[in-house]
Amino acid sequence: MKIAVPRMGNLSLIIRDLAWRLGLETVETPVFSEETMEIGSALAPEFACLPLKAVLGSFVQVLELGADTLVTGGGHGPCRFGYYGEIQRRILEREGKSFRMVVLEPPSVGIKAFHDSLRSLLPREHVRLGVLLNELARTMSKVVVFDKLEKRAMALRGLETEPGATDEALAEAQGIVSGAYTRKEIEVARLEAEERMRQVPVDNARPYLRVGLVGEIFVVLEPFFNFDIEHWMGRRGVVVERAVNIADTVVPMGRNPVFGYTEQAVAQAAEPYLSHEVGGDGLLTVGASVIFARRGFDAIVHFLPFTCMPEVIAKGVLSRVAAELDVPILSLSIDEQTGRAGVETRLEALLDLAWSKRKFVRGLAESRARA
Amino acid sequence: MKVGLPRALLFHHYGEGWTSFLDSIGIEPVISASTTGEVVVSGAVHADNETCLPVKVFTGHLLELREKVDAVLVPRVISQHRGTKACPKYLGLPDMARSMGGELPPVLSPLMDLADRRGRWTEEWRRLARDLGATGKAAAEAVSRMLDSLRPLEPQRSAGEPTGFPVGVAGHLYNVYDERVSLGLLDRVRSMGAEPVTVEQVPRRDVRRQLRTLDRKIRWDFENRIVGAVLHWSRTASVEGVVYVNSFACGPGSMIGALIEDEFSRRPSIPLMSVTLDEHSAEAGLLTRIEAFLDMLKHISRTAPPGRRPRGGGP
Repeated sequence: MKIAVPRMGNLSLIIRDLAWRLGLETVETPVFSEETMEIGSALAPEFACLPLKAVLGSFVQVLELGADTLVTGGGHGPCRFGYYGEIQRRILEREGKSFRMVVLEPPSVGIKAFHDSLRSLLPREHVRLGVLLNELARTMSKVVVFDKLEKRAMALRGLETEPGATDEALAEAQGIVSGAYTRKEIEVARLEAEERMRQVPVDNARPYLRVGLVGEIFVVLEPFFNFDIEHWMGRRGVVVERAVNIADTVVPMGRNPVFGYTEQAVAQAAEPYLSHEVGGDGLLTVGASVIFARRGFDAIVHFLPFTCMPEVIAKGVLSRVAAELDVPILSLSIDEQTGRAGVETRLEALLDLAWSKRKFVRGLAESRARA
Repeated sequence: MKVGLPRALLFHHYGEGWTSFLDSIGIEPVISASTTGEVVVSGAVHADNETCLPVKVFTGHLLELREKVDAVLVPRVISQHRGTKACPKYLGLPDMARSMGGELPPVLSPLMDLADRRGRWTEEWRRLARDLGATGKAAAEAVSRMLDSLRPLEPQRSAGEPTGFPVGVAGHLYNVYDERVSLGLLDRVRSMGAEPVTVEQVPRRDVRRQLRTLDRKIRWDFENRIVGAVLHWSRTASVEGVVYVNSFACGPGSMIGALIEDEFSRRPSIPLMSVTLDEHSAEAGLLTRIEAFLDMLKHISRTAPPGRRPRGGGP
């Protein structure tokens, strides 16, 4: 059994870790490219959202690389995502591919469904439940470390004095953590990795903008679809903070250890604007935008796949958040036709706006002080 | 006091219940007029440009009511049956209405979660009735009247077995039954000598039986209904062909559209045509396609002996 899992940010690190712990044989899914999108858009239903097309394209590619078991997420929320696996399976079967599709149900659907779907991926039947849970918990704590390192890197990139120093440090830090097996080792590696990140030379004196990143998890995490916004912003001396993280979605009980605000806190922040769960990351988008605005961020960038249902609602609501909390919010809807130049021009305009707003506010304060 | 009800989206399902609720607490319900071209245009201009057509139409109706009422009623519909959820757009509809800007009257948004325990969600309606000035007794009465009119939702429009040349028209009721949005699709089918049959005329029992054959359960209720009905038509050959009506940017619609096409391509099925509507849809284009489709169906029914209907299918 050769298992392949779609790419999404640090998900590939998780899969590598799990494969190592449980002895799974995996095939690395190729990074997203123009070719992936071409294959995906040709096969997928026209109005399906971007993630379906992208993942479908990469499934075709990874099947050609020899994978025979495709794993995807399930769920029972109102978002279309829960039905992706089924549609993709049907399309791939029609294309004459032979494979097995495993839809990994999240524990919220039912512990049994989760357990059964997970168990069907294990090479050995007799992995004890306790062992399995233990390994899952260890991987989860590792994911949190990975995501926190990435969060640190996003804050450092805009301030670094040597271009590329942050990325170098991040790669090394990830390498340090990757090798850790037990909880104790993970903890030691975490400290060491954080120390490595601290060695990045930064210039704190220079004024910089802070930008919050919200939106649908797939386009926010995959650099191919958001035109590598994290590096793009970093090169322009902008400190970025991201509201969506893999770790936050896999760690149970909505604790959001990486973002740092629990699900309840997010819902509470969103309440005046969006008072009900709308599936996907919709509520998080609104709540996190409010939190960023309150913390005085200079701008917020909202990424969504074209026609994404939860994010379209969030987008409608965000216009009110922007007006009432006086923060510029740019919603960028991404599909297979989106061009880099168009996105970058709008992002540049957003940064210009944020700078001039800052100058305006400072000017206002100075003239008040003089008066 | 006047409370407005936009004649759009779920009004086509639950409108009767909502008006009777308002009626029985002595509040005059103001229902917006049927959709017109202006309503669609103003909705498309004011709503978020990426939302689906029905939400744009809904926005148009909301703006239509703006001047005439003191408040609008936009219930937050969470689910219709156990184990299903409504489309995210319904879940966030009141919030979207509030963020629309412009001097919109207050939005009243009681919860409607039909899968949940009745006492729990009707509590919000009772509170709303009290807030609108009804006594406790009148509020309870209003809620029970609303529940009563929700119950016979089932066979309402079913007029027995269709006669003549039945053609299935599958799609959301708020598209199919809105003459402007669907560009008079039902009437056109009728005027071309066919008998349009819609999804709510298929008994729930038959819908459920078909849904059990799917490998993965669909989690949206209205879409369940559409898929079940279409599969029932196809597998019992009770209609000559199916026109699947979807609206542009409809999320669940895009999924079940693909699902239906796939199911039809896997086994002998009746012919299927997919139509996507948006605010730019022109009558001539739709008319031509429907004419061609019906001509084809008639040709098939003349040439193929009854009981041995065509194979294949697909879009």
